[in-house]
Amino acid sequence: MARPDPRPQRRAQGELETQVLTVLRTADVPVTAAWVQERLDAELAYTTVMTVLSRLLEKQAVTRVRQGRSFAWSPAADEAGLAALKMRKVLDREQDRRAVLASFITSLPEDDERLLRDLLDQAADESAG
Amino acid sequence: MGVFVLLPLVLPLTAWPIAHLATQHLHPRTATGLLSAMAAVMAVCSTLCLGLLMVVGTAQLPGNPLPDGWSDPEVRESVPHDEIVGKAAIPVLLTVVMGCGRTLWRHCRVRRQAHAAVAGLRDTSVAILPDDEPYAYALPAGPRDRIVVTTALLACLNSPERRALFAHERSHLTARHHRHLLIAQLAAHANPFLLPLRTAVSYVTERWADEEAARSVGSRRAVARAIGKAALVSRTTPAPMLAALAAPGPLPRRVAALLAPPPRHAPGHRSSPP
Repeated sequence: MARPDPRPQRRAQGELETQVLTVLRTADVPVTAAWVQERLDAELAYTTVMTVLSRLLEKQAVTRVRQGRSFAWSPAADEAGLAALKMRKVLDREQDRRAVLASFITSLPEDDERLLRDLLDQAADESAG
Repeated sequence: MGVFVLLPLVLPLTAWPIAHLATQHLHPRTATGLLSAMAAVMAVCSTLCLGLLMVVGTAQLPGNPLPDGWSDPEVRESVPHDEIVGKAAIPVLLTVVMGCGRTLWRHCRVRRQAHAAVAGLRDTSVAILPDDEPYAYALPAGPRDRIVVTTALLACLNSPERRALFAHERSHLTARHHRHLLIAQLAAHANPFLLPLRTAVSYVTERWADEEAARSVGSRRAVARAIGKAALVSRTTPAPMLAALAAPGPLPRRVAALLAPPPRHAPGHRSSPP
């Protein structure tokens, strides 16, 4: 199976992460990736489930403990990771985020980037001098 | 009357010079109020005018869907080329209504979903999300206003800059900037000539929040560095832009404005009698 390129499938990826987390939350004890794979609605390869789980681990949305030769997974205690995932899903669906939410961050064309760096350098010089 | 009936439809063309002058010469707070009020008035007039023309148009359709009494012969007389203009007004008004409806619906949906996303967290005014994408948003919701910020963005700011970030977002919430933005967006859907006002309102609300933040953290430079760094760190999605239009974008202008002395009539400095 070809490894899917994560970039264009970001939205699908986010959905998978939420699905896997939902399944994990139904378990009372830490469970294996195979257990998760069985209970997922979508037909996913074992490797895909593992990829999603390790991605969730990076985001600290899940934790794992070694159990024999494999890992047992459980959802992270903190709700922040899950909230971050949900928020990302909302934002990814919105092509023009700025149209709805006033954003602190603006995308920057190349010329603006140069200009901005100059301005910031100038600001740094003045405060140093 | 003649062509003057159509005046409300083309009057929004004046939005461009007005937006330009207001962003350059007025305090951002005054400019925000002026520009969004102007957008609202012009959009309402333009839509009313379209409605009037539509009544003229529907009266010509076989089996007039609206009451016959609505179409006054005098009104019809005063509209030039009433057959063409009237009929053209029907699809245009429909487009306007649908565009505004969609914008409103989307606005409500995103706000609802964003709140639902952070609903599980402790009820604090700032929600910090562990995410590797840097972003910060102000989520308006009356008494349950919230600021959402990711760890990735906080990681690249030092502590005065973080204070500047929070002050900036809080100012968006306390001044209810989302209302001005929504009005300007709806107005731009009602009449495309009002598009410059939408851009201008989004710029002046940011400038207003910048000024408020500078006042509350006591350093214009910290705010300038915060918004500058945030923009540089998130340079993952370059905006498509025509080379011919490559005038300095809004962000360098905001930074430059912060590095310059504060605008006149700054908040807190009540104009003293001469």
